[in-house]
Amino acid sequence: MANRRVLVKRRKAVRNIRKITRTMQLIATARFQATFNRALATKPYSEKLGELVSDLSSAAGETQHPLMETPTADKTALVVITSNRGLCGGYNANVLRQAVQHIDSQKDAGKDVDVHMIGKKGVNYFKFLGRPITRGIRDLNDDPQFSEIEPIANELMDQFVNGEISAVHVAYMAFESTSRQSPTVLQILPLAADLGDDAAAEAGGAGTAKEYEFSPEPELLLDRLLPASVRMRLFQCFIEAIVSEHVARMVAMKAATDAANDMIKSLTRQYNRARQTHITMELLDIIGGVNALEG
Amino acid sequence: MTGRETFHVSVVTPEQAVLETDAVFASFPAHDGEYGVMQGRAPLLCQLGIGVLRVDDGEKQNYLFIDQGFAQMVDNKLTILTEQARKPSEIERAEVEEALRHAQEEPLQGAEHMWADERLVKIRRAKIQLKVTEMDID
Repeated sequence: MANRRVLVKRRKAVRNIRKITRTMQLIATARFQATFNRALATKPYSEKLGELVSDLSSAAGETQHPLMETPTADKTALVVITSNRGLCGGYNANVLRQAVQHIDSQKDAGKDVDVHMIGKKGVNYFKFLGRPITRGIRDLNDDPQFSEIEPIANELMDQFVNGEISAVHVAYMAFESTSRQSPTVLQILPLAADLGDDAAAEAGGAGTAKEYEFSPEPELLLDRLLPASVRMRLFQCFIEAIVSEHVARMVAMKAATDAANDMIKSLTRQYNRARQTHITMELLDIIGGVNALEG
Repeated sequence: MTGRETFHVSVVTPEQAVLETDAVFASFPAHDGEYGVMQGRAPLLCQLGIGVLRVDDGEKQNYLFIDQGFAQMVDNKLTILTEQARKPSEIERAEVEEALRHAQEEPLQGAEHMWADERLVKIRRAKIQLKVTEMDID
């Protein structure tokens, strides 16, 4: 019966898909572990940087730095971090929705937005919407190196200090825990003026103002330290985004595998029912035939 | 350990902690020359230049190429924060030689201060890396 053959075929197709999604789930899990460890490895640097900034700004007193002031330019920059590959559920859609909202709200405030789009998915989406992109980066691989992010940060800082843009935001998927990631728009420039105070409060209000020997002067050191912390913040956004991407893919592929399992179960049930119906019909035919002969 | 008094040295980059060890002596390239540090040094916060970090842990010497950053010595702990720290074995000679050649071909920018001239910095960076790979390290 044609119906049965169709069912068998469909079940086979679903089984093949399940094989793929399960493999992708396993790969995403392994990748997630690796990137998560990388994310952890960036912690010591950023913590130390925060500590130095707070120590220095308390030593330098009232701090004024070009990176902390807001230029009056009518343009801002937005870095959007999306993935190069799909099959990761709502990951890209969520980030892009945030990005579009941000761009629109900036426009309402009378500011143009330079969009620096990272990832093929985002580039294609903006092309589809017909929204302009200042720069699209599609060739950033799965484990971005600091040396790849550094030039992006430096360029943005240059534009900011030259007064071409008045703010820099990053739209990315912030990683809070394995079960929680949230699309976020983070402001990285201008630097919050209370940067030092915040970090100082965090570093334990023990108030142990260390009597440092500075070389060169604290102001000059801070001059170097602040750009380093901006670079680090942007780098961390990238790392977090990658971790979130792998989590999203893991979850999406797990859901797909589960759905395939359910589908196989229901197809098997339908197939068995069709088979039984067929046998019963044949039996009825035979019995009918025998009865006719005897009659 | 030889029983001499030690302090802790850690070298961290944005990507990872490169080195965590106890040491009896360390010298690092500061912005204005070489600094040497031993146990009990007074708190110090200083800017780094390009050069070689040497850490003597009492048994052997560890060398690392450092490309700017910051050094902090506090409570008997020396922390080197740098955006690039490479072990001599990680440096690709061919790559560095290529970078050196490139830099030498660039036109002079005529800045008064050495650190302000990007080209000279590049040349210096390459030359020091080449020197590190030539060091006799057991």
